[in-house]
Amino acid sequence: MNKKIVMITTLLLCIFCVMASSASAAKTTLTFSMETEIPVLDPQRSNAAPSFTVIAHIFENLVRTSNGKTIPGAAERWETSEDGRTLTFHLRDMKWSDGKPVVAGDYEYAIKRLIDPATAAEYAFAAYYITGAQEYNTGKTTDPATVGVKAVDDKTLVITLKEPTPYFVGFLGHGVFAPARRDLVEKYGETYATDADKVVYNGPFVLKEWKHEETKVLAKNPDYWNASAIKLDSVEIMVISDTSTALSLYESGEFDVVDIPSNLFKTYQEEGKARLLFNGALDWMKFNLRENKDKPWLANKNFRLAVGWAINREAYTLAATKGLYVPALRFILPIVQGAEEQYGKEYPLDFYTPAGDAAKAKEYLGKALDELKLKASAITMEYLIQDQEETRLMAETLQQQIQAALGINFKIKLVTRAQRQQLEANGEFDTVYSGWMPDYDDPMSYEEIWITDVSHNSAKYSSPEYDGFVRGALIEPDARKRMDMIFGAEKQILEDAPLVPLQLRRKAWMSDEALNGFNRPLIGAEYDFAFAYFE
Amino acid sequence: MLRYILKRLVISFFTVMVLVTVVFFLVRAMPGEPFLSDKLTPEIRENMVRYYGFDKPLYVQYFTYIKNLLRGDLGVSMHYHGIPVTQIIRDSFPYSASLGIRALIVAIFAGITLGVASALNRGRFLDYCCIIVAVLGVSLPDFVTGYLLQYVFSIKLKLLPIAMWRGFKYTVLPTFALSFYTTALLARITRASMLEVTNQDYIKVAKAKGLGVFQIVVRHELRNAILPVITILGPVTAAILTGTFIIESIYAIPGMGKFYVSGIQNLDYSQVLGLTLFYGIFIVIANFVVDILYGFVDPRIRADRRDAS
Repeated sequence: MNKKIVMITTLLLCIFCVMASSASAAKTTLTFSMETEIPVLDPQRSNAAPSFTVIAHIFENLVRTSNGKTIPGAAERWETSEDGRTLTFHLRDMKWSDGKPVVAGDYEYAIKRLIDPATAAEYAFAAYYITGAQEYNTGKTTDPATVGVKAVDDKTLVITLKEPTPYFVGFLGHGVFAPARRDLVEKYGETYATDADKVVYNGPFVLKEWKHEETKVLAKNPDYWNASAIKLDSVEIMVISDTSTALSLYESGEFDVVDIPSNLFKTYQEEGKARLLFNGALDWMKFNLRENKDKPWLANKNFRLAVGWAINREAYTLAATKGLYVPALRFILPIVQGAEEQYGKEYPLDFYTPAGDAAKAKEYLGKALDELKLKASAITMEYLIQDQEETRLMAETLQQQIQAALGINFKIKLVTRAQRQQLEANGEFDTVYSGWMPDYDDPMSYEEIWITDVSHNSAKYSSPEYDGFVRGALIEPDARKRMDMIFGAEKQILEDAPLVPLQLRRKAWMSDEALNGFNRPLIGAEYDFAFAYFE
Repeated sequence: MLRYILKRLVISFFTVMVLVTVVFFLVRAMPGEPFLSDKLTPEIRENMVRYYGFDKPLYVQYFTYIKNLLRGDLGVSMHYHGIPVTQIIRDSFPYSASLGIRALIVAIFAGITLGVASALNRGRFLDYCCIIVAVLGVSLPDFVTGYLLQYVFSIKLKLLPIAMWRGFKYTVLPTFALSFYTTALLARITRASMLEVTNQDYIKVAKAKGLGVFQIVVRHELRNAILPVITILGPVTAAILTGTFIIESIYAIPGMGKFYVSGIQNLDYSQVLGLTLFYGIFIVIANFVVDILYGFVDPRIRADRRDAS
């Protein structure tokens, strides 16, 4: 009898111990899904967030962006010359996953490859800050030696900039600046980095397995210079294009992180589970300011301001997105980096009010009609949008608001995405629904595309005051003065109203409570799990 | 028979060439351009246009495409940079085909059984049940069936996996979801043509001769009633085997379906062309097989051909 009791107790103890040990050992595998397969893994040819997410974890750029901060990456330190135009990076000892040393030449090669016209890289513009880069990319010169990037020796890389560009060091953390090995690019040619074994790695993880359209398995890179800071042993990224399937898989415990489909975000928010983030996109209604004899009102500033004030952005975002998107009351996303802290905190501005102002709208319309010598009912305005359910709903809400407030004819023109882009680029629109995602963490990313005659400026907006502010900011070495100019430009463009800001996009997501250090960056990669861990 | 097959082969080849030509020019006529992201500057766009050879005259591009095609090269995807379209098909088609064959087997068995059962019990309870199933199957859209099965069997009852493709039990729900429509379609057609045949004189003769029910149904009724079923089986097989966007996306199956959609969305010319061509060849082959099947099922057709040759 006693023997039995002892045996049972021992057995129970054993079971308890096993259970306790398995409960205390934290998970080291992170699993989640992305909506699409990464179209390209070759860093210099990449152009989409899913690619940049993987690239950021398998390559080590000169610097790394973590939680909005620029931290040392392959470069252990760097110096900026007094005029702010020469950057000298000092590289640490690192190895590629095939055992070869990582040298400064790999970074020089990558940048030159990015701007080589033969690479046909969509993101080549990212390197245009470097002297000679734009000329080389656009074929004005064919000599790569004229480009201001040079590996002085294996450990030192010098980059010369056209203008002092305070955000450029941070921008170097972007996926397109990941290093490349000349020998492998030449060996694989077109197929470079199209499979896990056709590229080498020097980042926190290596790509162990890549089943296209199905799964990518990242394994911790034991040779990574900062391997002790990497807590996850492996990361599995599935491709699940159906958002509700991904959600079900998360609910069943198979995934640790998931994006919440926008139609369900309210439910999860009420349950206190949804986390919200700005994905960087600021959407606007853009006016065509080209001379138009049939529709002279489009070029009338007061008319455009009347439209801007006629919109009740609060009601609009609630009706169209249940409040997932929030009203945009200014031209720059407030959370981008300012001189020292967030731009919106340093330079608060509510140009429009969330509920709009019908009286003000009428006042501006009155002025416009006097100037144009027209009646409101004679005014017709077409709003070009791409055909998506969400977009349609938003446009219809705007239509109701603007027609009710101003008494003008507001027509919606539905086209495909490709058509919208083409018509917008060619200037064949009255007004168009578009927007901008910043490419780097600085207000300049929104502002530089509205300078007179810049190719992105399809509205043909041209203001000497605005250009003066932005061009001043482009060469101003002092951070505070520079930001003042940027703010000046922002106020100017809002007053000139070539665009009317509509909303800031947000994304809803949730993650396993035990997961820490998992970030959602604003720029480039969609997820940052380099330093993530489970408690 | 051999001459007949040869003739069909030649016609098939021309059909495919016409298809390629039409699709090649139609794809180019789609509004928009492949390189028109909101971020692109005209100079960078020019680099990309040159890289893919789109700066050359359209007829030059067409002959280059045909030349490559005859060597079995479908070009490189523009969206999935550097990945040949043939590789996309090679990687994704097995998933679609595996799912499709399973769904087809289920659909043929279930559809014909349902159709026969309901015809034999015309106007009775079983018939109505079958009709309800058939109407539901034809009218319920894919995504409703897909989500419904997933919700009931995976999320609520936890009997089967929610999604992905990692073994037999993962295949069950997508197979049924995909086969539902075809099952219903086949059931309806089988029922209708069975009813037509039942009143024929030769069936009455068979009955009068005192043949068993099983023999009458299988040897006389079904054999004659199956022709229309076989007719639609060709295109149905091609459609079901080459991937279905919705079911594959609900169950996260890395099949071919999504590439059609993404190819068109991204205006990825080579991808759209390559996949359409593959689909076209598939339909041609499926119809060809159906024609030969006719011969086995219906001796009259076989006899005609013999006469013709």
